[in-house]
Amino acid sequence: MNRVTQNLVLTLLGCAVLRISAFSTTYLNYVKPGFQPFLIGAGTALVILGVIGLFHAARTTKDTKGRPGENSNEHGRSDENVHGHPHGGPRVAWLLCLPVFAIFLIAPPALGSFAASRDDTPPPLDQPLSAFPPLADDGPVDMPIGEFIGRAWDDDRRSLTGREVRLTGFVVPAKKKGQWYVTRMQIACCAADAFPLKVAVRGLQAPPTDTWVEVTGTWIPQTFKKMPAGVVYPQLTGKGLARIEPPDEPYE
Amino acid sequence: MWTDDDSPLPPDSWGRASSARGALPWGFTLVIVLLVVGRFTLTPHLTAPALQTWSTIFVAICVQALPFLVFGVALSAAITAFVPASFWTRALPGNPAVAVPVAGVAGAVLPGCECASVPVASGLMARGVAPAAALAFLLASPAINPIVLVATAVAFPGQPLMVLARFGASLTVAVLVGWLWLRFGRSQWLRIPSHPHGDGRKWVRFGEAMRHDLLHAGGFLIVGGLAAATLNVAVPREWLTTIAEVPWLAILVMALLAVLLSICSEADAFVAASMTAFSPTAKLAFLVVGPMVDLKLIALQAGTFGGAFTARFVPLTFALAVLVSTLFGWLLL
Repeated sequence: MNRVTQNLVLTLLGCAVLRISAFSTTYLNYVKPGFQPFLIGAGTALVILGVIGLFHAARTTKDTKGRPGENSNEHGRSDENVHGHPHGGPRVAWLLCLPVFAIFLIAPPALGSFAASRDDTPPPLDQPLSAFPPLADDGPVDMPIGEFIGRAWDDDRRSLTGREVRLTGFVVPAKKKGQWYVTRMQIACCAADAFPLKVAVRGLQAPPTDTWVEVTGTWIPQTFKKMPAGVVYPQLTGKGLARIEPPDEPYE
Repeated sequence: MWTDDDSPLPPDSWGRASSARGALPWGFTLVIVLLVVGRFTLTPHLTAPALQTWSTIFVAICVQALPFLVFGVALSAAITAFVPASFWTRALPGNPAVAVPVAGVAGAVLPGCECASVPVASGLMARGVAPAAALAFLLASPAINPIVLVATAVAFPGQPLMVLARFGASLTVAVLVGWLWLRFGRSQWLRIPSHPHGDGRKWVRFGEAMRHDLLHAGGFLIVGGLAAATLNVAVPREWLTTIAEVPWLAILVMALLAVLLSICSEADAFVAASMTAFSPTAKLAFLVVGPMVDLKLIALQAGTFGGAFTARFVPLTFALAVLVSTLFGWLLL
């Protein structure tokens, strides 16, 4: 990898990062919203470093052509050899093109039903118990799926009883007949640690897998006193269903 | 990849460097052509859910780690370029047994990527710092510097003990290895390389150091991202859960994973956090072993300090890291 190529690769990577963070909301498919300034900063730094390096490389080439044999970079070059790299750049740096390929060619979408249906570990409790404020009085309540699950399992006052709520998520088919899951992935940090939050919907025809929907309905209180072994999801009697466009922020 | 470095013959490009540098970057041109052609021919076919899930996780790991990598590399380049080498010999105490913990703590304060820590440590040795102290610095600085600790805190929200355990366990291992080297190490095992240093203006050196570290660490970060995404998608969860249920096996498997994945210390906390099936102690072992022993570090160390050193240093560090992190995990997590 020669000097020009090294800087071109850095610039390309920087452009790819800026493409998904500064010029679109694609980065929300991968990380938390608060990460945007850091991504823009890192992308800008990469582009600046690459462009300055290209400028230097072009000047050095011109210099060397003018005075053959007298190479202003001889020191840096021998230094690199002592450090144990082949001259120029490390070959492993070519791999930096891979995320660029992935971003531009595959354009990885937000995690969907494939990830949600294979990951059947029960979600950890991340909300303090009984920290649920009372629900507002009028109409169906918009609620994150995580909050619905929390209120369904852990609310002593059973604030969901008889209340109409509206959940937003994508459709994951269920193995049991007569129900499907409205699902949202929750990420702690990036999509690599995502796990699915699912609510089983009954009484409504299942829309196609991976469609984004708004489901209106009421909670079905669980009949068991103790949590059974295995994975169980809270249930909802569906009343209304609306298809929606996938949101910019796909994770909870 | 490193085998050709120690070759006694100079690379055949020597003596005609200017022509090589003037040549067009053909490899890069190929990359661009592939991107443009692929956009029109491949993209419509790359829609398999497994592939898309894999690429989402792969890109997510890379995107999440990149700002930390860029920031860490910039700081370590600034230290390389702007802090004079003589500073280190003045700052460390003369008695090596005292210098070891001081160097370990200095590693905690001074940020540096693990790829940068190897050349920094060999530079310290070449300037007369006791090898044991330089080794403690080598182990401590990538594991417990502020950037890594912040990244750990971000990756494990609401678990400050994980940050504390990582700090304590890593510092303990670094100091123990330093002392053991002081007591039992032999100087003939260690090849201390001489360090010719690029002259030129500071800002140029800063840019060079940063570019060099970015290309290196970045490349190995991608290796780690590829492996982690593949494990995430291809390995059935039941396997991991089965392993994760046996405590000692889980710790050992996570420690070995840290070696194999070779993730940069600025990013490894995010990968560890994503292994939701494993116990906190196993994750801690991953975080303590990763910055100290991994494939890319072993390669860098063998290239810098020689094989005799690496064959002794690496197993010692690995064993101590597993033991100490188990102890800290048991005490704190």
